[in-house]
Amino acid sequence: MKKSNLVLAIAFLAAFLSSCSDDNEEPKQPLGDYENGYFVSNEGPFQNGSGTISFVGDNGAVSQSVYKTVNGEDLGNIVNSMYISDDKAYIVVNNSNKIVVVNRFTMKKEAVILGENIINPRFFVADSGKGFISNWGDPFNTEDDFITVIDLQTNAILEKIQVGEGPERMLIDGQKLFVCLQGGYGSNNKVVVINISNNSIDATLTTGDVPNSIVADSSGAVWLLCGGNPAWTGSETPGSLYKIDPTSYELDIKEFTSTQHPSLLNTDNGNLYFALDGNVYGMDTNDVELPANAIEGLGGQFYTMNVKDGELFATDAGDFSSEGTLKVFNLISGDLLQTITTGIVPGQVVFP
Amino acid sequence: MKRLLLLFIGAFGSLHAQSDSINKLDEIILRGNFSPVLNSGYEVRVIPDSILKNNFESLGTLLQKQANFYFKQNGNGMVSSISLRGTSASQTGVYWNGIGINSALNGQTDFNTLQANSFDQLEVRKGGGSVLFGNGSVGGAINLKDEVNFNNVQQVRVLLGLASFDTYFTQLTGIWGSDRFYAKISGGAQTSENDYPYLNTSLENDNGAYVNYNLNATLGYKINELHSLRFNTSIFDNDRELSRTLSAESRAKLKNNDRRFLLDWTYLGSRYTSSLKVALLHEDFQYLFDKNISANESMGSSDRLIGKYDFTYFLKNDMFFRAGVEFENARGNGNNINEVSQDDFTGYALMHHEPWRKFTYNLSVRAGASSAYDIPVIYSLDARYLFTSSLSLRGAYSTNYRLPTFNDLYWEPGGNPELKAEFSSSGEIGLDYQIKNLRVGAGWYVIKSKDLIQWRPVTQDFWQPVNIDKASNQGLEFMASYERLIGRHSVVLRANYDYTLATDDNSNKQLIYVPKHRAGGILDYSWKKWGFNYNLQYVGKVFTTTSNSESLDDYLLSDISLIRSLCKDIVTLNVKVNNLFNVNYQSVAFRPMPGRNYVLQLNFKI
Repeated sequence: MKKSNLVLAIAFLAAFLSSCSDDNEEPKQPLGDYENGYFVSNEGPFQNGSGTISFVGDNGAVSQSVYKTVNGEDLGNIVNSMYISDDKAYIVVNNSNKIVVVNRFTMKKEAVILGENIINPRFFVADSGKGFISNWGDPFNTEDDFITVIDLQTNAILEKIQVGEGPERMLIDGQKLFVCLQGGYGSNNKVVVINISNNSIDATLTTGDVPNSIVADSSGAVWLLCGGNPAWTGSETPGSLYKIDPTSYELDIKEFTSTQHPSLLNTDNGNLYFALDGNVYGMDTNDVELPANAIEGLGGQFYTMNVKDGELFATDAGDFSSEGTLKVFNLISGDLLQTITTGIVPGQVVFP
Repeated sequence: MKRLLLLFIGAFGSLHAQSDSINKLDEIILRGNFSPVLNSGYEVRVIPDSILKNNFESLGTLLQKQANFYFKQNGNGMVSSISLRGTSASQTGVYWNGIGINSALNGQTDFNTLQANSFDQLEVRKGGGSVLFGNGSVGGAINLKDEVNFNNVQQVRVLLGLASFDTYFTQLTGIWGSDRFYAKISGGAQTSENDYPYLNTSLENDNGAYVNYNLNATLGYKINELHSLRFNTSIFDNDRELSRTLSAESRAKLKNNDRRFLLDWTYLGSRYTSSLKVALLHEDFQYLFDKNISANESMGSSDRLIGKYDFTYFLKNDMFFRAGVEFENARGNGNNINEVSQDDFTGYALMHHEPWRKFTYNLSVRAGASSAYDIPVIYSLDARYLFTSSLSLRGAYSTNYRLPTFNDLYWEPGGNPELKAEFSSSGEIGLDYQIKNLRVGAGWYVIKSKDLIQWRPVTQDFWQPVNIDKASNQGLEFMASYERLIGRHSVVLRANYDYTLATDDNSNKQLIYVPKHRAGGILDYSWKKWGFNYNLQYVGKVFTTTSNSESLDDYLLSDISLIRSLCKDIVTLNVKVNNLFNVNYQSVAFRPMPGRNYVLQLNFKI
């Protein structure tokens, strides 16, 4: 029996015993090697190779390629994103056209979802027993993009919902799924709202160009950041920040100047944070104006960033051909707290 | 089978001083700037017709075996790129009868889009050679030659073969010559399912089929004793599926078409020679992201018109001058390159001098101008000293450049028209020893490069090439060969070893896909009508990440072949086993190469 199997067995046994036992507290059995900490999903090299998952333990220990360590195989080409739902993690492997389902405590592979309903998958979100996968389909066909709906229990495909070009990041707010149509290799300017109780499209909102990130604040309001078309496209448009009323779909827009192209919207503790021109900006959700000044000390060309509990987790992909880094900053002071080596092209920081 | 021995004799250019100018003039006319008298400080190696015509191999496969060159290949038959002395794929100049044929789009040659046996001879020369050869000859230069012989000759050759993975090939060659005319036409085709299993996996190369055609023609006309005309054409069409990796399947396909035409008028006088060349080069490619959906294609093409004039004048027996000018108009077009055109004009001058009978040197310089970028002024000095008739010391110093390509300059989005040429300086010294049948050579070189062009991210989704990297390469090269003829037994042994250190100056890490160790060995044995050949290739570990954190294992490959000639040498039967020990190896990460495979080949010669 492999060590990981043993761990899994112990985990199950522990779960079994604890469910049978009284509430008398026995010391809690660990659920797996990767229970306490967070993950970084690394895309891996572009052309050929495999993405990896790095794990940063609460004790500070960093483990690289944890999926390969546990399962003895490579994940696949271009690990675009990872999503944790209960005890499972869903790893989206873009160029290998598959979703790898693992136990999020042990990293043990449980299932692989692939086939004609997973084509160029990008992101994954889950709620109410269902998982939603954004798919580009053929990246050169603007008519074949879709959202795959799966049953989280059985991993069976429930439905395929056709959407417009380039579905990317998604957000579930209440019973609604907001899908950013970022535009794939080109540019789009829509957000599709899907009612997840019946998988029907509730609305298609026209937004600014290139809707690249979406979050919900503590009040339930949805915030959408659009990058606008960058200069190299030849038809540059400004970035914009939208507040979306999740019921009426009323849009409240704040526009950036014509050459500003923000990205990586985050929310934490009533504030919004985003990246722009190598800086990080923060604002209160109640602010009327976009922030004029960047947060001191948080400069850098970040490939991705997350804000959590007053800390900024930002990655640098370096030359894209070797290990990247994850930097953890104190969001208020701008102090660099930690620098962590990741895999190649660290694309997402994923907290349980 | 004695012919087989001749394969290897003459495989090295004689560098010993030839005393009369007529011989040198002859050689310069015959060999152009690859002529050993213009390359005193370098080794110019000739791979003769006898090696080329007997094997149906891609140029890359042949050079790996015969010249110990390092290639990386995206799977068998897929895109194959060279790295000479640790330089990049666009820093090896590839020439066809002296005309540069590296792609105008990406600056490289794909060595699986050239069929070795459709040419008569190869000349290979390591070391910086931009002054003599032009753009891109930083690590070295390779010349594909079509010969013209004004002799009475009629020959028809037919080659038929089959190999593992449903591979079939054929090449037909007809030659006709007289004292005034010469014609050679050679055409061939190859088709393969190429569906070899990826060893130790359940995968196979399920998207790797290819088919290709080649057609080469050479026409020569001797106007009189002084003037002659020749016309060459070289056509290659390749239609390939692109192999899957271990981690992702593929439905992609790549079609390449190359069309090359060359007209050459040479004059051979008693004191001077001249050669006027006009060439048309066309390349186009079509890349299908999904072979089943023709709408999703990416296309590109370039057309070049090249005019080249070279002139040599003998001042006296031990001193001559050579100069040349070259004009090139290049046009490019495609999905990501919008109707661009540029003109380059360069000229060079060389002085060859033998101040003493034992000492020879060349001094040369090249300069030019372009509508697209600045062309650096570069120069070269090389020399050879003969200690004895069997031992010589050679040395060279040169500066070299590699010009930005259409993709670098004009790719939409990202192309950077402000790019300048990559620039390098290189030096080398070597010792050559030859006594009777034994030949030994050793050399050491250094290359310092700057302004190397790298695509870098400006924002997450916008990349642009910039002149940013610096690299230092140095290495040692050893070779030894031995030939012996005892009665009807003949033995040829050849061994090479290259040690290559190529580091990025910023990180001090070894460059990716540059093996520190590379070795090769050939054993050829023949007896009466039998021949046996053993080929050994060793490629050391290569790093696949710029931080040197990941690498590919080294590998040792053995190929053997057994040859039997029949019917008074009209028929030759050749059985080959490649990768005899079924080594599971990758030339590029996640792209396995074939295990043990077989080739059966019949050659007819009438």
